[in-house]
Amino acid sequence: MPIPNLEKPIIKGLIQKDKVIVDGVELDGTWNAFMIERTQTGYDQSVWDEIANTVEGATISLCWQCGTCTSGCTMREYDPNYSPRRFIDLARKGDKQSLVELQDSIWRCVSCQKCTHRCPKGVLVEEVVHSIHNYLLKHGLVKTDPGTVFDELFLETVMKNGGRISELLLGGASAKAGFVTMSIRDLITMMGPLMKSGLIKDLMKPSRVKEWDRIKPVLEEAMKEEVVPQ
Amino acid sequence: MTEIANPYGKVALYPGCALDGLGKSYDVSLQLVAKDLGINYEKIEDYNCCGALEVKNVNTMAGLLLPARNLSLARQMGANAVMSACPGCHYSLSRTQYFMTRYPKLREKVNSYLEKMGEKQYDMQLLMIHAVEFVYNTVGPEGVKARVKRPLTGLKVAPYYGCLYSRPKAYTLTGYMKMKDDPERPVFMDELLKALGAEVVPFESKTMCCGGPHVYSDVNTSLHLEARILKDAKRNGAELLITDCPLGHVAIETNMNKIAEKYGQDLRMPLVYFSQLLAFAFGHSPDEALLTANMTNPMSVLKRYL
Repeated sequence: MPIPNLEKPIIKGLIQKDKVIVDGVELDGTWNAFMIERTQTGYDQSVWDEIANTVEGATISLCWQCGTCTSGCTMREYDPNYSPRRFIDLARKGDKQSLVELQDSIWRCVSCQKCTHRCPKGVLVEEVVHSIHNYLLKHGLVKTDPGTVFDELFLETVMKNGGRISELLLGGASAKAGFVTMSIRDLITMMGPLMKSGLIKDLMKPSRVKEWDRIKPVLEEAMKEEVVPQ
Repeated sequence: MTEIANPYGKVALYPGCALDGLGKSYDVSLQLVAKDLGINYEKIEDYNCCGALEVKNVNTMAGLLLPARNLSLARQMGANAVMSACPGCHYSLSRTQYFMTRYPKLREKVNSYLEKMGEKQYDMQLLMIHAVEFVYNTVGPEGVKARVKRPLTGLKVAPYYGCLYSRPKAYTLTGYMKMKDDPERPVFMDELLKALGAEVVPFESKTMCCGGPHVYSDVNTSLHLEARILKDAKRNGAELLITDCPLGHVAIETNMNKIAEKYGQDLRMPLVYFSQLLAFAFGHSPDEALLTANMTNPMSVLKRYL
């Protein structure tokens, strides 16, 4: 019998009119095809456990895989591989390999919160996705992406500039890191408002938290702490 | 004008970095509006960055402790509610409150660090509100209407709320007891703008994301999202895009040249903070409301009402 076209890609070799012995019993018959093994092994249960043990990822266990998060997702329209539902599914299965294959998508969440807002089960989807991403980063499974570089730059700017930030400070730091490209025209458009609102002074001397030097070490100490959802 | 008792008790304004930076025109005009309407709030002094949407992704504790310090400062002022003008700050503060409520041991930890910083423990007694909700729930559209000296009849506006004004309801409590706006189809700003005599056009992108957090790291997606917001507003005939989010406002304004080059020059449209339009309608000059300091020059549209 000819093999249906749909099945061709999943067929491994052809064995015809062969004798087969299963458990010592010789079977008589004709075997046309053997399917490629499609069960996957090597799932790592610890992925789920580790994510569920973070403050952000604790709600991963509540997911019912209904897909409400993904159907309304802002990012999905711009990146068909972006799927919170799938990220959660893979993380719960512990399928690291598939997650790593999605590394160019998983960081692209714009934090618009539609997913979390609409989830009928109370999963904090946006938080969980960030937790999965952080897991991959922490274990060195994925390369550092532009989003993470920017997030780190943001925190660094807050710490360096006395606990505060402004679009101007951040813009400056981002330009230094090679993020921002501004044309002369953009700069001219910006200068007018900066002069008129008196912001040019703030640009020269940004405001700081008064006792930042006392607060900063406490913050740095706190940042080293392992936080669990309790 | 006599002081109006508001339903929140004492309100503290968390200015956030935006209002002291490129969102200065938001800050200045909000003060004018509050003074005209006779509603009071007090600024939190010596506040720190709320961590916005970035810090929490890098470090869990920093993402909670930074907002918590601001909440503690607000309680030390004796405030009952914290108003943010920036939905990003509103979100960050509400998120901290949510996690501190949910995990008592985490709350203890955050509080112990606050004490180390020299602040008081945060007692979880604050309600987070947004500036639009503050105006709406204290004086309401009628109160606003009564103050209008310069009716904006015939002005077509599209109110852009942005994503975090109402989402997620788990943190921001949207829909709560009619004090909070509808999470899917917010209307508070629409009502306030109608009270000025302006015409609010149908606007599908009301709560669509502008790609703010990735405005630097994933710029093409951001441009695309912003272009869609402008396209929807234009298609429905809006002359001005009214914003309540400094992040979205600044992101769209600074990207306007790039958007116009990529998606068509006819998408150009001036942006105005809702408080600026209120201040203008209340009779303040464009300079007072810092309308002349907006990058997209809204006076080209508003000059006919002078």
